[in-house]
Amino acid sequence: MATLPEEIKAAMQGVIPSHVVTCARDGTPNATAISQVYYVDPEHVALSHQFFNKTVRNVRENPRALVWVMSPQTFDTWDLEVEFDHAETSGPIFDVLDMQIEAIASIVGLKGIFKLRSADIYRVISATKNVSERIPLRDIVEPRGGR
Amino acid sequence: MKAHGSIIPDRVVEVLRGPAVMVVGTRDAGLRPAHVCAVGAVVDDDRRTVTFFVPESRSARLLSDLQNNGRVAFSFGLASHEAYQLKGTYLSSRPTTGEDVALQDAYRTKLFAAARKAYPEDIARPYALGVAYQPGVAVTFRVEEIFLQTPGPDAGTKIA
Repeated sequence: MATLPEEIKAAMQGVIPSHVVTCARDGTPNATAISQVYYVDPEHVALSHQFFNKTVRNVRENPRALVWVMSPQTFDTWDLEVEFDHAETSGPIFDVLDMQIEAIASIVGLKGIFKLRSADIYRVISATKNVSERIPLRDIVEPRGGR
Repeated sequence: MKAHGSIIPDRVVEVLRGPAVMVVGTRDAGLRPAHVCAVGAVVDDDRRTVTFFVPESRSARLLSDLQNNGRVAFSFGLASHEAYQLKGTYLSSRPTTGEDVALQDAYRTKLFAAARKAYPEDIARPYALGVAYQPGVAVTFRVEEIFLQTPGPDAGTKIA
């Protein structure tokens, strides 16, 4: 079990989409972008379950998942190895997710499409900052002559 | 000789040409998933194989997984949220060439333009252009299944 660093909270505010990779029992991986990963406490995150999609089905047969998040302040990214723990269909975490999903859906023009079925709670196994993934901010330049 | 793999529909090719955000998923022998952001991709002329580009610095786990079990998931989506996922089998990898980098720079230019419509400049620039994409690795896989991934009740529908 790992403890999430305080600085990762900025990456869990839904500003920049996150990514989730899961794996079916038969060994087929599944990759997807999601609007937000929710910080529950230093050892848990939550993902919203709105449709019974492949991510949801996979973690119920193989609980391991990889969550990637990016801070909109520093642009640092993290890989979180997580394990599905349980689903909550009511309570304070569910209510917060429900409210935030409505807000995000409204912002991106998808209001009414999303209905929260559960807040899926994951235990954090490891949290690794991807130190080699990003170009230093001062060195980022626009491409020249792209075709 | 019978061709293997799915023929990628026109619309999926258009979305893949972007500017789409691209996510690669693999897994190891213990079914533990791994993730890499791809920076550009091309559909090969046969419309059954795709080559995507990943930073060399992030390629070790990816290549280990692919060489051990070959299973790959490649997800990509537009700012409109239209998204697709290709699943298939690893074929080959090589260091990126100058031609690949030109393709990647064209992709990055388009992605930056799209990001500017959604974010202020101080987020759009590092978000769209900040991946350390060179040196890179080009990974080619055979597409065997194609799924709709646009958010909504039809997400996950197999389309080819």
